[in-house]
Amino acid sequence: MDEKTRDDLLKLFQSKLNRAMTFYLEACSRCGVCTKACHVYASIPQIKNIAAYRAEIVRRIYKKYFRAQGKLWPSAGEAKELSEMVLQELYDAAYSCTGCRRCVVYCPFGIDTQMIMSVAKLLLIGANSEPEMLTMLADMSIEKGKSIEIFKEGFLNGLKNLEAEVVKKWQSEAGETVIPVDAEGADLLYVALAGAHSIIPAAAVFNAAGENWTLSFFEAVNFGAFVGDPTRTRLILERIVNEARRLKVKEVCICECGTAFRVMKQLSGAQPFKVSSVTEVHARYIREGRIKLNKSKLQGPVTYHDPCQLARNGGVMDEPRYILKHLTDDFRDMSPDPKYNWCCGGGGGLVALGEDTLDFRMKSAKVKADQVQKTGAKILATACENCHTQLDNLNEHYRLGVDVLFLTSMVADALVRVQERESAKAA
Amino acid sequence: MQTVYYIILVPMVYIAFATFFLGTLFRLLKIWNEPKNPATLKVFPERGPKWPGTLYDTFLLPTVRKHNFVLWVFLMVFHISFLLLIIGHLELFKDFKIFQVIPHNIFMGRGFLGLFLAIALLFFLFRRFVSPYRELSVPEDYYLLILLFLTVLIGSQMDWARTWYDYGELGVQDYREYLLSLLYLRPELPLGVQFGGHSFMLVAHVFLANVFLMFFPFSKIMHSFLALPMNRLRRG
Repeated sequence: MDEKTRDDLLKLFQSKLNRAMTFYLEACSRCGVCTKACHVYASIPQIKNIAAYRAEIVRRIYKKYFRAQGKLWPSAGEAKELSEMVLQELYDAAYSCTGCRRCVVYCPFGIDTQMIMSVAKLLLIGANSEPEMLTMLADMSIEKGKSIEIFKEGFLNGLKNLEAEVVKKWQSEAGETVIPVDAEGADLLYVALAGAHSIIPAAAVFNAAGENWTLSFFEAVNFGAFVGDPTRTRLILERIVNEARRLKVKEVCICECGTAFRVMKQLSGAQPFKVSSVTEVHARYIREGRIKLNKSKLQGPVTYHDPCQLARNGGVMDEPRYILKHLTDDFRDMSPDPKYNWCCGGGGGLVALGEDTLDFRMKSAKVKADQVQKTGAKILATACENCHTQLDNLNEHYRLGVDVLFLTSMVADALVRVQERESAKAA
Repeated sequence: MQTVYYIILVPMVYIAFATFFLGTLFRLLKIWNEPKNPATLKVFPERGPKWPGTLYDTFLLPTVRKHNFVLWVFLMVFHISFLLLIIGHLELFKDFKIFQVIPHNIFMGRGFLGLFLAIALLFFLFRRFVSPYRELSVPEDYYLLILLFLTVLIGSQMDWARTWYDYGELGVQDYREYLLSLLYLRPELPLGVQFGGHSFMLVAHVFLANVFLMFFPFSKIMHSFLALPMNRLRRG
């Protein structure tokens, strides 16, 4: 690696050094309590899969270039020069970590391995060694934000087809505009994913609840966050913030995408709107009696996978359980404490990398498959696109024999129709 | 030999304390000058008041207790004994009423604190010989444990001699004279300190402690100051 490249990379490293990051890089005493925390280590017990070991790969570079100890006595902490070899190590560490932050729960100091891995990811971008696919997807999202007019027509045409499907299934609730777009003064801006499954059931529930809502032009997913690029993450986020401000909505509701929710909720700063996940919004509708659900729709025991970014890292834990209580009488929790829930094994961009990571994703998430199996559930619900894809893959790979369902779809399918409710009232 | 003794017992002590205080202060100021993280680093669903929770997480290590009970027992024994021995050393300067809540002689614990500490340190050290802790460890981890073990063992030996074998040649009065003279910047070495049968032990103990203090700001032991704010971050 030439001098100039290294200097540029170290500048990137420097840009990540805020107070919390320095805490995390300074304090680790390598006690190894985090050993048991990582699902990758629990499934593939190799040293390189221990949280502290991953972090130490970044920490060694930190010691070498940012700490007196590494300059005066490099061997004490095994301070390491930044080289091509180290880049490979960084790649292996960062892209085998799903950023689930289960290790934060174990660490006596609360060291955040996901955050340390974000240094690794940024260095990889700087060295043009990141998974190109993720950067490409991030750039596409950003491009769409810049030239919305070009995309608008195709998007609206696509929606027409979806509207027909919504009407077919949930006719009475639909009202005049089945899927409102660009509606200034709406109360709620729903940010979906590219895909009918993320729009149709959500539209049905919003309409059933009589919500004054509008659909965002943009997809919620933030590939910038997956690839660990703070600039791209912000650009992708800002598209939605700008749209929400332009439409003067009171609430931005993020679809079933854990990372999108966490980025929007925790990084958008002080805004005139509040940020909710669609799970929270649905729980609210039930609590306020705006929608009613029919318990007889689901057959067999149900379990729920807490998406890490939504639950442990986003705080949405009670709401999905509240919703499920209205969907089934046989709900079985996977872990007594949701903050200890195993990651599905698909986070941190791994699912977005598709087939390339499939083998690793299946092997590293064996503990998740075991956890699902142990519940004896027939239906596996979740509230995150990534988790859903990964759990679907696990279901097939380990022959779990469960139905992997989105919570929103379950709510939409169990909606008690207006006329049913009214006839029930009359009776 | 007396010159070496003098260098270790006087100038090196000053250098060690200066390095420790200034180094730690400088490093902490530097860290606190850095910008805050833009997003919360909380782990949900930590509920309830934040500061009591933070203190609980920091000083009682509940996560270690839950996931590695044996390690937790040794960690608690280690940290509590260490704290009590620091108090013991302060009492070598003068008697503090506040520390006499439980009446005791210097040092507290009749020599057992040092023994516990030494055993805990051996446990930490031997633990690192075994996988996966072996692969996680870096030389610093071993240096620090060996350094502390020797400091504690030699220091305790002096305490044990006084409390267990009635050794009287080098006693509290000598330590007090020596330490106060250092504190008032008029360093003086009492005869017992310089020529007593235990002088070598004292010099070795002070030397190792000096090295530890000088290494402190540049090592992972900075977690003594960082553990609290870090646990606060996790509580949100």
